[in-house]
Amino acid sequence: MHELSLLKKGSAGRVVRIHGTDSISMRLLEMGLTPGVSVKMIGAALLGDPLEIELRGYHLSVRKSEASRVEVAGS
Amino acid sequence: MSTRPFTTVLLGNPNTGKSTLFSALVGMPTRVGNYPGVTVEEKIGRYTHREIPIDLIDLPGTYSLSPKSPDETVTVNVLFGRVPRIPSPDCVVIVADATNLERNLYLASYVLELGLPTVIALTLCDAAEKKWISIDADELSRRLGCAVVPVVATTRQGIATLREMITDAPHFPRRNKINIEQHLAAVDSIHEPAVREAIARYAWIENILDGVVSKHPSTTRSFDEQIDAALTHRLWGTLFFILTMLFVFTSIFWVATPLMELMAFGVDTIGVWLGSILPQGAVRSLVIDGMIAGVGGVVVFLPQIAMLFFFIAMLEGCGYLSRAAFLMDRLLVGVGLSGKSFIPLLSSFACAIPGIMAARTIENRRDRLLTILVAPLMSCSARLPVYLLLTGAFVPNVPVGVLWLRLPAIVLLSMYAVGVIVAATVAFVLSRTVFVGIPQPFVMELPRWRWPQAAVVLQRSYEASVSFLQNAGTLIVAVSIVVWALSNYPFDEQAIEAEISHHRIALKTQLESLRAAGQETSQTAMELTEILAAMETPEGIRAAQKGALQRQSFLGRTGRLIEPLVQPLGWDWRIGCAAIASFPAREVVLGTLGVIYNVGDVDLSKKPGENALVRRLRAATWDGTNRKVFTLPVALSIMVFFALCAQCASTLVIIGRETGSWIWPVITFTYMTTLAWLGAFATYQIGTWFMGA
Repeated sequence: MHELSLLKKGSAGRVVRIHGTDSISMRLLEMGLTPGVSVKMIGAALLGDPLEIELRGYHLSVRKSEASRVEVAGS
Repeated sequence: MSTRPFTTVLLGNPNTGKSTLFSALVGMPTRVGNYPGVTVEEKIGRYTHREIPIDLIDLPGTYSLSPKSPDETVTVNVLFGRVPRIPSPDCVVIVADATNLERNLYLASYVLELGLPTVIALTLCDAAEKKWISIDADELSRRLGCAVVPVVATTRQGIATLREMITDAPHFPRRNKINIEQHLAAVDSIHEPAVREAIARYAWIENILDGVVSKHPSTTRSFDEQIDAALTHRLWGTLFFILTMLFVFTSIFWVATPLMELMAFGVDTIGVWLGSILPQGAVRSLVIDGMIAGVGGVVVFLPQIAMLFFFIAMLEGCGYLSRAAFLMDRLLVGVGLSGKSFIPLLSSFACAIPGIMAARTIENRRDRLLTILVAPLMSCSARLPVYLLLTGAFVPNVPVGVLWLRLPAIVLLSMYAVGVIVAATVAFVLSRTVFVGIPQPFVMELPRWRWPQAAVVLQRSYEASVSFLQNAGTLIVAVSIVVWALSNYPFDEQAIEAEISHHRIALKTQLESLRAAGQETSQTAMELTEILAAMETPEGIRAAQKGALQRQSFLGRTGRLIEPLVQPLGWDWRIGCAAIASFPAREVVLGTLGVIYNVGDVDLSKKPGENALVRRLRAATWDGTNRKVFTLPVALSIMVFFALCAQCASTLVIIGRETGSWIWPVITFTYMTTLAWLGAFATYQIGTWFMGA
């Protein structure tokens, strides 16, 4: 298990946990980043942040600081 | 049949083609306005179906119904009928992106729970087809207990059916009680309750969509996917981004500038024509210098606003606006802003007015406000003539020793840098003090590439222009008239004549004393002779009268009154006067300086050496002395002041309108003027110290 932000470009993982229940965590959940869902790392912006991930058939942007709340397991 | 208007709200995630659908259903909105208290644009359009008038309300795009931002609060309040001017909705249309139904149904799960008559419009069905996604709309409708209508807004496919369903919705057999509890029970209890609910809702969605949506992954990459891959590429994507931004802003400059000149020319022509038919006097002055100048000051912004919103709508329509924010986020997040502030701030280099309006694309209220507050610090095109004139006249044209760069170019560049650095500092400080609070998420969808819709693009551009004219236009005209009155009254002909003759005598005495000292060929004497000669010509007399009027007006008196305040900046009271009188717009300062220095109307097209204003400024001395007013440190101090000050009434008016409060323009004016004073003070003091050392 590791943080979502550590996922290598092009590799996929499964969400295990979301830490916290503040507005950022809630937004992540609303966007479908729920435990059990599979995510794929598409890449990062030029300066390495934010990240672009793919889940539930669409692309999502998350900052590294936001992605650190998401724990994934490699698949 | 009742003819009471039937209220229907359009609700959906951002980027679902909601605006396109709105246009397809009603065409142009009949009303664009702001919700009271928060600045969220409301769009209401009316159409008639089966003789029933239907008011369609376009709500801001949102991802859920748990209010976290003012936009979402507005959405929730409208749904519950809590907004005074808007009746409880008779029907809710959920706009759901067919290519991304899973996430779109999350919002739907909340709306369906409300039990209101609901219709789901499946948009972007053509895009879904291209991605080999097929949706069994009838089965989905049966499972959700509400009508589901696939639409392709651009070809109007499904629009007629959607209209039927909206009108029928209240009679549709409702079975909106959705069963989340069953799924909630199945969720692992190690998660927090809020997390469990989200898991349960998505589990419900997965269950609903099982067998309804079928995806057939294509073996070949589609054209759209290839565009996507290029745009998200780290090198090509970034290069494309820079080229796009360059293209957008150079075209605004190249296309809007001639249009602005044309508009200014039109307004001037009307002014000249009115001038020829109105009798000389106060009314003529009010109409031409107050009203017409005010109207001119409003319409001159229109081409820029229309162009900028045209491009924003294009970028948004392509799905590229979010990508631009994504690419620039890291750069701006360090100073407390977000990637979405990038386009508004970049636009502000042309003009802060469209830039501040472009901040509407920032959904987050805190980020929007912060962006609006610092946008006027970007050096707009109105500052350029001030920089150019003063640099050309007072900065020595010498090489600086680095490459081929010369000092004036360095000074000009520094003025732009000063604005950016101060803006970054202000944003950084404000975001950690006044605006400190819950960090705002940057969790947003990065939409796929798609073709923008001409109707939506044109409508967006039209709406922004109309909104500017309606909301700010009248106020800007009113402010111009007030400033006109302050700089033209009190009007006392005797006092004006007295001042002119007093001035003439003072100049003559000065010249006599120079002659007595045998210096009649000195530069100062030559300048004095020239000024005295100019005062005898008819134009010279008119310019002298205009100057005296300005100096004696309320504004002029304020200028004298604040002399102790501007002296530390190296300014005499005339510069103080010009700075105050340029409150309507910065670029006016040159004209005001011209009037105050008795040059009359300044022709800025001439080179600095041949320009009457420049010669007069170079000749200007402190009252009763031979000490020159304009030295290099003074010129720099004026430039820094104008780089940082808020001397632009239109900007302040637009800030008031866009934030829905008059506190923000007051705060903007105060902080910018304070910074401008401090900046000018430091520049003058350090400059003088350098020159002395």
